[in-house]
Amino acid sequence: MFAVDGKVVPKFAAVSRIRRAGHDVAGYQRPEVLAHIDEIRSYVESDNPMIPNAVVLAFDKRVRFESALGPTGTYTRPGEIIIPMENGWEEEDKPGFIVDGQQRLAAVREAEVEAFPLCVTAFITDDLKQQTEQFILVNSTKPLPKGLIYELLPNTVARLSSALNKRRFPAELLTLLNRDENSPMKGLIQTPTNPQGVIKDNSILRMLEASLSEGVLYRHKTKEGADVEAMFSLLCAYWGAVRIVFEDAWGKPPKKSRLMHGAGILSMGHVMDWVGDRHRGKRLPTVDIFARDLGPLRDVCRWTDGVWDFGPGQQRKWNELQNTSKDIQLLANHLLVQYKTRVGSAA
Amino acid sequence: MKFFFPDSQDLVDPGFDFEKERWSEARIRQRDDRYAHEIFRKRAFDGLLVSKGIVDGFGGVGSRYSLGQRNRLLRNGVREFFRLDNAPYDLPVMGDCGAFTYVKERVPPYTVDQVIQFYSDCQFDFGLSVDHVIFEFKSTWDADEAAVPPEIRERQAITLQLAREFLDRHRKSKPMFSAVGVAQGWSPNSYANAVKALQSMGYRYIAMGGMVPLKTPEILASLAAVAGVRKPSTKLHLLGVTRTEAIPRFASYGVASFDSTSPLRQAFKDDRDNYYTLDGAFTAIRIPQVEGNATLQKLVLSGAVDQAIARRLERACLAVMRDYEAGKAGVKDVVRVLMEYEHLARPHRSDSPVSKRRRSSTDNESAYREVLEVAPWRNCACEVCRQLGHHVILFRGAERNRRRGFHNLYVFYRRLQRELGRSAEAAA
Repeated sequence: MFAVDGKVVPKFAAVSRIRRAGHDVAGYQRPEVLAHIDEIRSYVESDNPMIPNAVVLAFDKRVRFESALGPTGTYTRPGEIIIPMENGWEEEDKPGFIVDGQQRLAAVREAEVEAFPLCVTAFITDDLKQQTEQFILVNSTKPLPKGLIYELLPNTVARLSSALNKRRFPAELLTLLNRDENSPMKGLIQTPTNPQGVIKDNSILRMLEASLSEGVLYRHKTKEGADVEAMFSLLCAYWGAVRIVFEDAWGKPPKKSRLMHGAGILSMGHVMDWVGDRHRGKRLPTVDIFARDLGPLRDVCRWTDGVWDFGPGQQRKWNELQNTSKDIQLLANHLLVQYKTRVGSAA
Repeated sequence: MKFFFPDSQDLVDPGFDFEKERWSEARIRQRDDRYAHEIFRKRAFDGLLVSKGIVDGFGGVGSRYSLGQRNRLLRNGVREFFRLDNAPYDLPVMGDCGAFTYVKERVPPYTVDQVIQFYSDCQFDFGLSVDHVIFEFKSTWDADEAAVPPEIRERQAITLQLAREFLDRHRKSKPMFSAVGVAQGWSPNSYANAVKALQSMGYRYIAMGGMVPLKTPEILASLAAVAGVRKPSTKLHLLGVTRTEAIPRFASYGVASFDSTSPLRQAFKDDRDNYYTLDGAFTAIRIPQVEGNATLQKLVLSGAVDQAIARRLERACLAVMRDYEAGKAGVKDVVRVLMEYEHLARPHRSDSPVSKRRRSSTDNESAYREVLEVAPWRNCACEVCRQLGHHVILFRGAERNRRRGFHNLYVFYRRLQRELGRSAEAAA
């Protein structure tokens, strides 16, 4: 193991790109994933970046290790690694191959920074088979479960990937809903640290994201960011009203209540945006206002038993609704049409 | 003659970074993006056309709207959703069913009530009756009526029946939009018959459907037949028909409006005419993205093209274009670099049967030389060209291609006004 300026690595290490040589596959690396590289690059160019995990290089026999005098441990030995380096080398002349970390190295190569320190784990072999084996081994690990990442997200401030940056704020709202004393959803959202919750974290995140971009939560975004307090009290008022109106279906596992299921949460989220817009003149509707608006929907909902009536030829048993975009759309449209005819229009 | 622009959620990200090629960080689609009417201070069209089929999606044709966007459109209406009040001129909105999305069905999938509800909820200015498109056209069927296939006759009958119901409901419920009838036909006389029937129901604004695939003489022949029955007060709309050169003749037949996406689409669908000028068009300069261009990506994956070389050439192309714009590179240098990348990115074109019909790369070479020598974007007054400079001529990614499409709309509108003998500023 050694440390090196990442900008220097391309001078002595090449990527063994996968390609066809006659009938055989030669090399092993896939092409660079530019979007991924761009994400890492933005991070490298941000404040206080660090890449703590080592890249893996394979060297051929031209690279030597000369151990120094002094104490030696079981695994560690100080010394000097001698890597030949020449300007103007073609890729195939280089003594090193990148086994793992090509995207990180490409990002460092392209980043607008002077230098960037990287840890390297290296081994010496002339055997392409061994390199390929190591490549497969380091690249077949399982990615972290999404739910765990989302739960960790609110406690971060650094620039993460664009996809995660976008989820950070919804994840923060989810944490509030799951922890705050005033939340009707307190303890109900299933996360890695709250496995007994009944509503899947992903359902809540999707509901929040939809409303943050299309619905009533969007109205509480400010130039500086978001009015978290207003959003949270609005969510508490609306879902508090849902709990009151659909008391029998609330808090049960999704197998027993479709209200707590992805299809229920997401379609009721669309209803929230509709009701919210109907009361757009008022700043924050109360639980009572929401409950009064939702009351007329009680007759057409079949969260826990019976058959949904979506119109001619469209009947569905309560537990046949799935968490698919088609079913969510079917249910949301039904609820919105019923809401409009029973209660009123938005504008 | 009014030009309506059909909505297909064509938006651009105003914060897109053309040097780093990145979208703005916390951008929310549609909300933070801009429509053409939010980019141009002067008019580029007279109104919008919004299709129920595009908003809802039908069968295999997915919606261009997310469920959330669709609900917001239904809640807040077209004026707010499309931010029409951001334009310094009035933009009326016309709604139709988007009959092409359900062309394969035997009958239209929407009821008259559903469609009226849709137009009312969205607060359209004009609403077209529910129609069923006929794509077959034979002038000879006028002499031999028995030869018309029954399923084609049925489509016209359905369209007229639904138009009758549509007008009945419209009269009863008195929604805010004006009702427009749709005529479908398979020949000049059959179009004339449809118009006659619609007029006797009471329609005074009639949209001519199914004319997209027709040749200009066929359209003119049909309009001439319609002129024989048209009441002077009846206005016509041509659905999806552009043909700028025929506009004055269309006008003489009572055509008051039309709609078309082709100025926008040609920016990135046409092989040659990508960038409009008042008197012609230029070919855009293709610099495909190493990542994002499917053909090139396949070549890289299979090992036929070295990704590092491709990236180097891609960057060299962008750099040489930048230098050209700054006056630091000549046409010859630019074309040399462009062609080097083109040979790598499309190496086997001349062997495939498809490419014989298309331009060969030597054609591209002369087209590029031409557009570089003229540099038409430097003489264009539209906001897109003013802001983008040479990026507008690069055929590369939606943010550039769609902006070039916006520019085309702007130029097309000016061509149209010239054809009509008006100045665009006077029309605005």
